[in-house]
Amino acid sequence: MIKLTVSTLLAIIFFLLVVLFIFLMYLLVQRQRESYFEKVRDRYLQNYSQFWYDYLFNNALFSIVLVPRGSAQVEAIEKIFSSYLKNIRNEQVELKIKQFSNQYLKAFYEKDLSSKRWSIRMNALYRIADLQIDELLTKCQEFEKNNITDEEHFQLLKIYSLFQPDLFMEKIKNSNVNYAESEYRRLFILLDDNVFIRFFHDFNSLSAKMQFAVIDTAAVKRNMEYLDELKKLLHHDTPEINIRALKGLYEIGIIDEMDPFVPFVTSEMWEARLMVAKIFKHVPLTYTYSYLEQLLQDENWWVRSQAAKTIVEDRHGIAKLQQFIESSNDQYAIEMAQEIAARKEGK
Amino acid sequence: MKIIDSCMMFFGGIILFYMLFVIVSYCTMFIIAMLDLRKRYRLDLSEYDDAHIDAFYSKPVSLLVPAYNEEVGVVDTVYSLLNLRYPQTEIIIINDGSTDQTLQTVIEHFQMKPINKIVRTNIPTKDIKQIYESEIYKNCILVDKENGGKADALNVGINVSQYPYFCSIDGDSILDEKSLLRVMKPIILSDGEVIAAGGNIRIANGAKMQFGSIYETQLPSNYLVIMQVIEYLRAFLMGRIALSKFNLVLIISGAFSVFSKKWAVEAGGYSTNIIGEDMELVVNIHRLIKEKKENKRIEFVPDPVCWTEAPQTLGVLRNQRRRWHQGLFESLWKHKKMTLNPRYGMIGFLSFPYFWLVECLGPLVELGGYIYIVIAFFLGKIYYEVALMLLLLFVIYGVIFSIAAILFESWSMNTYPKKRELLRMILLAFTEIFWYRPLTLFWRCEGLLRFVLRKSDWGNMKRVGIAEKEKSV
Repeated sequence: MIKLTVSTLLAIIFFLLVVLFIFLMYLLVQRQRESYFEKVRDRYLQNYSQFWYDYLFNNALFSIVLVPRGSAQVEAIEKIFSSYLKNIRNEQVELKIKQFSNQYLKAFYEKDLSSKRWSIRMNALYRIADLQIDELLTKCQEFEKNNITDEEHFQLLKIYSLFQPDLFMEKIKNSNVNYAESEYRRLFILLDDNVFIRFFHDFNSLSAKMQFAVIDTAAVKRNMEYLDELKKLLHHDTPEINIRALKGLYEIGIIDEMDPFVPFVTSEMWEARLMVAKIFKHVPLTYTYSYLEQLLQDENWWVRSQAAKTIVEDRHGIAKLQQFIESSNDQYAIEMAQEIAARKEGK
Repeated sequence: MKIIDSCMMFFGGIILFYMLFVIVSYCTMFIIAMLDLRKRYRLDLSEYDDAHIDAFYSKPVSLLVPAYNEEVGVVDTVYSLLNLRYPQTEIIIINDGSTDQTLQTVIEHFQMKPINKIVRTNIPTKDIKQIYESEIYKNCILVDKENGGKADALNVGINVSQYPYFCSIDGDSILDEKSLLRVMKPIILSDGEVIAAGGNIRIANGAKMQFGSIYETQLPSNYLVIMQVIEYLRAFLMGRIALSKFNLVLIISGAFSVFSKKWAVEAGGYSTNIIGEDMELVVNIHRLIKEKKENKRIEFVPDPVCWTEAPQTLGVLRNQRRRWHQGLFESLWKHKKMTLNPRYGMIGFLSFPYFWLVECLGPLVELGGYIYIVIAFFLGKIYYEVALMLLLLFVIYGVIFSIAAILFESWSMNTYPKKRELLRMILLAFTEIFWYRPLTLFWRCEGLLRFVLRKSDWGNMKRVGIAEKEKSV
């Protein structure tokens, strides 16, 4: 019995060693192929980078030698394009890259889209978006009918948002996949204002994460139209939406009236009180001091701290805080005021 | 004679059974890791990195660098943090009452000036003496505090930090510029469902670096260090990835991990009275998750993100392993009630038994196996065969797994791309069971013994600084 097991074990070890040896051989061959691939790619980069620069920036004539032969050269071109697209904003260059990619790279990515390997398909989807290959839109729609992963679906949404915003709006509203907020932001930030504003029109039909992302994106886009939309959301039933809208308005930094904000000074949520204390940074202290004094005596440490910080930002802030320290009998608030005042003076 | 016979049969049986059990568990974890990594093979990661480099898509992180007598390495560490590609960070160096020139070095190098800063005491700690701010890098803060140990220093860092996530970094670690971006990825993409994440740690000995970034990795020439490189690869492929997939991770290395401040504070911060404070925090957070019945996760990120200096001499390595194992045993013992406790779900039913049986008590059984082989050699007779079988199992467990890990790693990550280096590592893996394995087993058992005897003096690693090291290796 034992003898048999010893020989079995020996056989297992032998088998595993053989498998590992084959794997090693495969790796070594693969490495060889990779280094050949890199050599071809680097040679293309070395030989044609200048041609590309002249064609894209100096209006030199397009030369047929730039057309890639094989995937190593495609990768070289990807490198060239991505370095320009990431670092320079130039519509003409973008257009040239788009035209070239549609004409000469389309076939490569179309093939990659039907690859069995997920990572290859993902890379193809990345490139279609980056290089604006809009001629593959129909192919992408067909691709969507396959059994695709959430990541691929996301990438498709990005492609739709770039090439056909109407289709994107339709898809995203009917999408069953729940993405992270940061992912929705990545999709929304690229939309034109006239498309993006539509999210506010049927705001309540969006998922919570999309709603949050819409508010945050609006804050970054800093369009006056969104200011009114965000103010409307201050009356929304969901507290989180109110807080986000306050945060968005703070980030836009244009406060043209006080009334919408005053009720939040006595809000039950400390986060809302904190945001109001922040928003008052954008309003002269004469209008806000009475509220800030109230917030300086808040039960929450963060609110007290923010109120004090907002006060000292004003020209007369330190004097006001000194006045408060002398007249108040709220020990916590006094300590906070003293610390913030000392810090401001120390700087 | 009969007693010896039955003893030998009994122990031989137990050790054999144990080895088979461990081999099967490692195999399972290896397969899970393989499937997971295979999917990502050749995926262009720069797309994600470039998209998330904007503050609009990420969350700010406070980077905590506890330093106790780290005058040699601390400046490099801070440079590597300044080099990180991440939109919003603050660097908090905590000088834990160093007796060398750590404080002066940092003050002079980064032109630190004393400031008044309000610190909210979320976690009680030893007193802060003074806080400084760099005049060159406004997001860089130095906290000088009374000596209280690494955990206490980290807790001070948490108190001082202003961002919702913090990342603890050892004073001797060097990070890749995309490290933080990659480690934060699961947190960002899960909208906070992942509340802690740890990165994959690599050994930096032999790497070439300048101003805190590694620009070329090469295999060190010291055999002891190469063995540790292999060991790290194995631990990563046959453990962390699979455990992380099922939210069963109990250890994310203290050398580079991100935590949600809210959860870490609620879990009481780092425990100051325990050796393995990083494991302790993870276990406490797991406990909190289960007690609050929340759907939160702790994840391990497979990308290599943090480079650390490995011991180069037997003496230092012995201290390190002894301490690690003592820490592991201490944490498991402290939370022993979680073992097989239905209240803690899979953590209680899978993680804890795994860590007890394989990670903690494993060395004892394995060392028993080695001793068994030696005794069997003297006793002769039928024990030869049991001993031979044990030896073969050690070969599978030590040699085969190591080679598989090296090859798989080389395929999926491309970290050691040179052919010669690959072959050198494989050749060395064949020798593992004869010297490195028994040595580390012995040290780990020492750690167990020290826990039982409650010995707790700290083995402090003598550092020469990674940048210097490349010259000396």
